[in-house]
Amino acid sequence: MAANKPRTSSFSRNVGVVPTSQVPGLKHGPNGTVFLSSGIADLDKILGGGFCLGSLVIIMEDPDAPHHMLLLRNFMSQGLVHKQPLFYASPAKEPRGFLGTLPNPVSLKDDKSREHDTEQEKTLRIAWQYKKYFEDQNLDSQKDGKVEYCSDFDLRRPLDRHALSGQCIDCVSLQDCPNLATLYDRCSTFLAQIPRFDGNITLAGRISIQSFSAPQCHFSDKEWDMLSFIRSLKSLVRSSNAVAAMTFPPSLVSPTVLKRWQHLADTLLSVRAVPDEDKDLAKLLTGYQDMLGLLNVHKVARINTQVPVILEATTYSMKLHKRRSLVLECLNQAPVDGSSGTSHATSGSCSVSSKTGALDF
Amino acid sequence: MAAEAISRALRDGALEGEHAPALTIKDSIHAPLGAFVFDHILAQLSSNISSSKSQAQGIVLVAFARSPQFYAELLKSKANDAASLKKWLRIVDCYTDPLGWKSQLAESGIVSNRSTQNATTASLCKNARDLDMLFSSIVELGKEVIRETKGRFAVAIDSVSEILRHASISSAASLLSNLRSHDQVACLFWLFHSDLHEMKASSALEYISSMVACVEPISNTTNGKGMNSENLPLIEQNLGRGKFSVRFKRRNGRIRLMSEELHTEQMGINFVPAFEDYVTSQSLVPKVQFSLQLSEKERNDRAKVVLPFEHQGDGKPIQIYDGRRSVSESKTENKETNAEKMHVNEDSGRGEIIYIRDSDDEMPDSDEDPDDDLDI
Repeated sequence: MAANKPRTSSFSRNVGVVPTSQVPGLKHGPNGTVFLSSGIADLDKILGGGFCLGSLVIIMEDPDAPHHMLLLRNFMSQGLVHKQPLFYASPAKEPRGFLGTLPNPVSLKDDKSREHDTEQEKTLRIAWQYKKYFEDQNLDSQKDGKVEYCSDFDLRRPLDRHALSGQCIDCVSLQDCPNLATLYDRCSTFLAQIPRFDGNITLAGRISIQSFSAPQCHFSDKEWDMLSFIRSLKSLVRSSNAVAAMTFPPSLVSPTVLKRWQHLADTLLSVRAVPDEDKDLAKLLTGYQDMLGLLNVHKVARINTQVPVILEATTYSMKLHKRRSLVLECLNQAPVDGSSGTSHATSGSCSVSSKTGALDF
Repeated sequence: MAAEAISRALRDGALEGEHAPALTIKDSIHAPLGAFVFDHILAQLSSNISSSKSQAQGIVLVAFARSPQFYAELLKSKANDAASLKKWLRIVDCYTDPLGWKSQLAESGIVSNRSTQNATTASLCKNARDLDMLFSSIVELGKEVIRETKGRFAVAIDSVSEILRHASISSAASLLSNLRSHDQVACLFWLFHSDLHEMKASSALEYISSMVACVEPISNTTNGKGMNSENLPLIEQNLGRGKFSVRFKRRNGRIRLMSEELHTEQMGINFVPAFEDYVTSQSLVPKVQFSLQLSEKERNDRAKVVLPFEHQGDGKPIQIYDGRRSVSESKTENKETNAEKMHVNEDSGRGEIIYIRDSDDEMPDSDEDPDDDLDI
């Protein structure tokens, strides 16, 4: 948490006293925002804390690979672990079936903490005064009854039954929606249970829409209708304590609509597939063998502030750590990412720090 | 290699809980060999089915572009007899009367109904616009060919381009994806002519399928010039040969690209491995801001740069103009004129800056170390 402390300046609204959240799964962020976890620890770190309540997250799929499902699974599982109501829509006839593929958090009585200690003893002898920094991590996870903000999910094990039962999970098949108005009504009834007031937040919810413009949906050729649905969804989500995550295949919409779609997102991510047995790529990147795919972060949500987020790197490789949990790693390739199109991507970090340095009084 | 990999994937079929593998065969007018590829794959799958090597126990063929008799003949010629064909082959006949016009005319008595008998049981489809009915007839016929309750059947659709004439892309896409997710479908494949439709239809079909096989011309004919004497040999060539490239979406989430050549022959087609030039994946990885490689043009330009040295490394001494009014050929002359100039300019009193090259005194490339003068 100390490492993630956001830079505060006079222009950011500091929430006076930052209370430890009584509500599990929520965290206070800068500028009066509240975060909830995406389910992937690395992604939370990259985005500066997680997904902002009231924001719309859009993930652009690669038609050749199902990596967006991994992101959605972690997102949905995290919500269920924290007992947050969930709304799920997909083009399949039986969306409930997808719930069976959600991962379970790695249980703490597993090898995790023991392994950590023994490894430490073997490889590294840490001076006694520094041990306190390492112990912090263990303490957090071992507190009885305290649930972690972001769980480590084991993708090989399905979610426990007790997490699924007794939960408010609303599933909709996009094929059953003759038009977008019905889908909008379902969303607004779901969000009505988690409105936003000025007081303390007691409950947060998650909306997860998979493959929104898939060709099987009847509304997939009505592009302007889809855009106005997204805009209405965004306004609904803004006035409630929820995060909406939506994936869609960008190759199936026309370029102008795609641009508008991208602009509507508060946080924009995209996943890309990697060719198999490609010798050139194996030479270019270390760790190519373990890579599942690539994740690009195009936009990060900034609510209640005008200061943009400029990331050090925007392309990450998705890998499975110990074959069970999803981790994101920077590419070991070039020090600088020039593909963002703006040359001030590199000088940006310098200018941001100098600005806040000058104005920090 | 690529064609065999496709046949293997279709033969192995679907895993429990997963969607069935689906193949799109795509071609265009420039390389119209898609139908041959379809026939080849159909024949391979049929031989696997009849020898019980495949997960699919039967095949339901939806015939739009060619008649059921054609397929019966085709499969008979590949060493299948009529009796065994009846066991595992069912055909949905959307070729004879897809919109029901002939039966309407027959009913009204204008045209006498010519009955069509064929050896294979072909179920006649009279309304190609109703894809829900097509889906249920495919599933019904499929149930007839499987032997056990847990068995599966394969589905082959002659031409999705024909379906798209009568129905929208979203209903065609939902038909295909419902077939894919049906428990009893082992695999499915279809043919599609990409230049007859918008890009959107093409991308939608590629989105749904797990393997995409494209037939492309080996050499691109000059577009727009039509049939003239220069183009004819190229066009003829494209009717007999093509480039066959396949993109597999693997279970581990990666893409496998394979490519080979195909040649048409009397008894079908033949696949020949071609030299592979993979598209470099440079576009996937973020671009480095500085390029360490030189392009051809840059290399040429670099060779042409005149360096500010006397010797350019190519054996010819070059006189660099260094601001003196007259640059003479020999060095000795320079010295003399220099001395004169000095003298002259002293008298002028105009406040010029005079620079006299003192490197003239040195022989070029002298190996003296200037530090040798120091007495330390």
